Amino acid sequence: MITRRKTVMGVAVSAGIVMGRAQVVLPGYTKVAEVPITTSRIKSEQRALDRAVEETVQEIEELRDSAAQRLGAQVASVFEAQLLIASDKSFLDEVKNRIGIFRRNAGFVYNSLVQETTHKLKHSVDPYMQAMGEEIEGVSNRVLSHLSGYRERSTVRFKGDRIMVGKSFTPGEVLSYRNRKAVGFLAGEGGANSHMALIARSLMTPMLIVDDIWSQVQNNCRIIVDGTDGRAIINPSDEEWSEYQRKKKRQGPALLTRIKKLTKIPPTTSDGRVINVSANLELPGPVDDILAAQKFPVGLYRTEFLYLNSDGFPDEDQQFEYYDRIASKYEDSYVVLRTFDLGSDKVRFDGDIGPRETNPALGWRGIRLMLEMTDIFKTQLRAILRASTRGNVRILLPMITELEELQKARRIVSQVKFSLRRAGIRFDEDIPVGIMVEVPSAALTAHRLALDADFVSIGTNDLTQYTMSADRGNSRVMSLYNSFHPSVLSLIQMTIVACQQAGTPLSICGEMAGDPLALPLFIGMGVSDLSMNPAKIFDSCRLISKIDFNLVKHLVGPVLSSHSSAGVMRKLQNYRNALEKK
Amino acid sequence: MITRTAKIVNRFGLHARPSAMLVSTATKFSSEVFFTKDDLRVNGKSIMGVMMLAAEKGTELLVEVNGPDEEEAVVAIVRVIETGFGEKS
Repeated sequence: MITRRKTVMGVAVSAGIVMGRAQVVLPGYTKVAEVPITTSRIKSEQRALDRAVEETVQEIEELRDSAAQRLGAQVASVFEAQLLIASDKSFLDEVKNRIGIFRRNAGFVYNSLVQETTHKLKHSVDPYMQAMGEEIEGVSNRVLSHLSGYRERSTVRFKGDRIMVGKSFTPGEVLSYRNRKAVGFLAGEGGANSHMALIARSLMTPMLIVDDIWSQVQNNCRIIVDGTDGRAIINPSDEEWSEYQRKKKRQGPALLTRIKKLTKIPPTTSDGRVINVSANLELPGPVDDILAAQKFPVGLYRTEFLYLNSDGFPDEDQQFEYYDRIASKYEDSYVVLRTFDLGSDKVRFDGDIGPRETNPALGWRGIRLMLEMTDIFKTQLRAILRASTRGNVRILLPMITELEELQKARRIVSQVKFSLRRAGIRFDEDIPVGIMVEVPSAALTAHRLALDADFVSIGTNDLTQYTMSADRGNSRVMSLYNSFHPSVLSLIQMTIVACQQAGTPLSICGEMAGDPLALPLFIGMGVSDLSMNPAKIFDSCRLISKIDFNLVKHLVGPVLSSHSSAGVMRKLQNYRNALEKK
Repeated sequence: MITRTAKIVNRFGLHARPSAMLVSTATKFSSEVFFTKDDLRVNGKSIMGVMMLAAEKGTELLVEVNGPDEEEAVVAIVRVIETGFGEKS
């Protein structure tokens, strides 16, 4: 337990700075006291169960409605099965029956029956069955918390700013804590692609993943979560507290307000070079509407959400509806839809797929997976093509490692186009098909890939991971993961030059695209297209307007000849300091 | 009473969404509905029961329907199972 000041580093899966007191949520609710009751109390225990169930149903309905309102029907459908579970009549009848037979308290009987039901599921080797067991437990924990005389209705707003600290959170929990005005999240496990991270980002709520954090933090202690630097300070000193208060103030008005003001800052350098700034998105949400209204393009729309949120791959019509809604929303700009970027650790297949991969990052993922599961790939391509009639949709292929993959994928696109044509279905014949450059082999052969790709997008996060051979989620090697290492920058520079020579449009879409240190360097390298987290757009546009292209192009040589990440960052920081003095 | 067997054909088996669909279908009718897998027999109108079956793809479910609208019910239930709950097989 940390009772003194301590700084911990973690992975920021949703950006922003928040400060508040810890609200620790302990995982599981497995132990329920067994209390013998007298015959006269049977009825009242049964009534207590009914009441708890009623409250739970109401709670889930509220969550569902708020999800539908804020995030759309797709997300809200998660709660339908939960409602059926909570109100399962024959299950509840059996609980009431047993309360009478065994003469035990409602909570104990209810919990025993839940354990009986989920035992087999939890021990199944099938991840879908395990997930179902967890789903039932999630609901039963709600019922139990209402039963245990836990009087605080869990829709009550927190007093003061609360930072939720837990092992991990379900999407429903993130949503409900956010509704209760929690300001941020610290989770002990999970990744940038987990459901909770997805929801946190779309709600623009900072979230940091720190190994085992939930067992270390004391309830009610002060915490600063810096979801920009990936840092949390537990029990900060008063000086730090006020320093961060100033820092927060300097961040300026709330993100949504800032995004609304965007059009007032056209992203043009001080010497008149126009930079195309676009957004990285993955879920419909409030930001999405504002960006669309401001005619901002979406340089990267991730589609994994569709898979993670439905049970298996969604069918063509479901996907079409989703893509078509996005395309119509961004009618005045464009949307780059990236095809499913899933790994075998996330996807479940039929039958024997051999041993579990010991190294999923280097395994069967991204385009590698899609090129073999062609029925799934074709379904997605058909849906995207059908949504392309407005001429504003582009296709982006993830994890291209060698030319053959791109050529194979393009052949499949042609086949899908052919079958659509034959069926008389309209689509954009000229839909651009681009590639992500995010592995060193692609960067090193970008001159060739750029000839066959309609556009290129550099994914700096994976490119850093694969170049430095370091996982940023692993605290032991996290310090090696640095996008400013000269090797990573050389690969980026190589890709930029290759695309310029081939005449292929290029953009940068990783986290680095919105980094104030990296931005002047990219512009100096000749990049004129950046796609970033919406939270970074406002500051980036402001920064771009101060940059002098003819000056920053002289930064490139010295930066690339640095010997270390630290050397690079020092030079870029010097430039930034000079810029701020101006 | 009518009994039929129906095979789970969708790729991911009777997980949360199909279970919910199956229960919703069974609940539309006034007849009693039971599903049996191996030696486990559950109420077809209870999602907890249906989930407890942990029926994966390829499982043969025994469907028993008993009541005034059993004819229609059994047809509807077997159809929803055998069409894979609208999912990929």
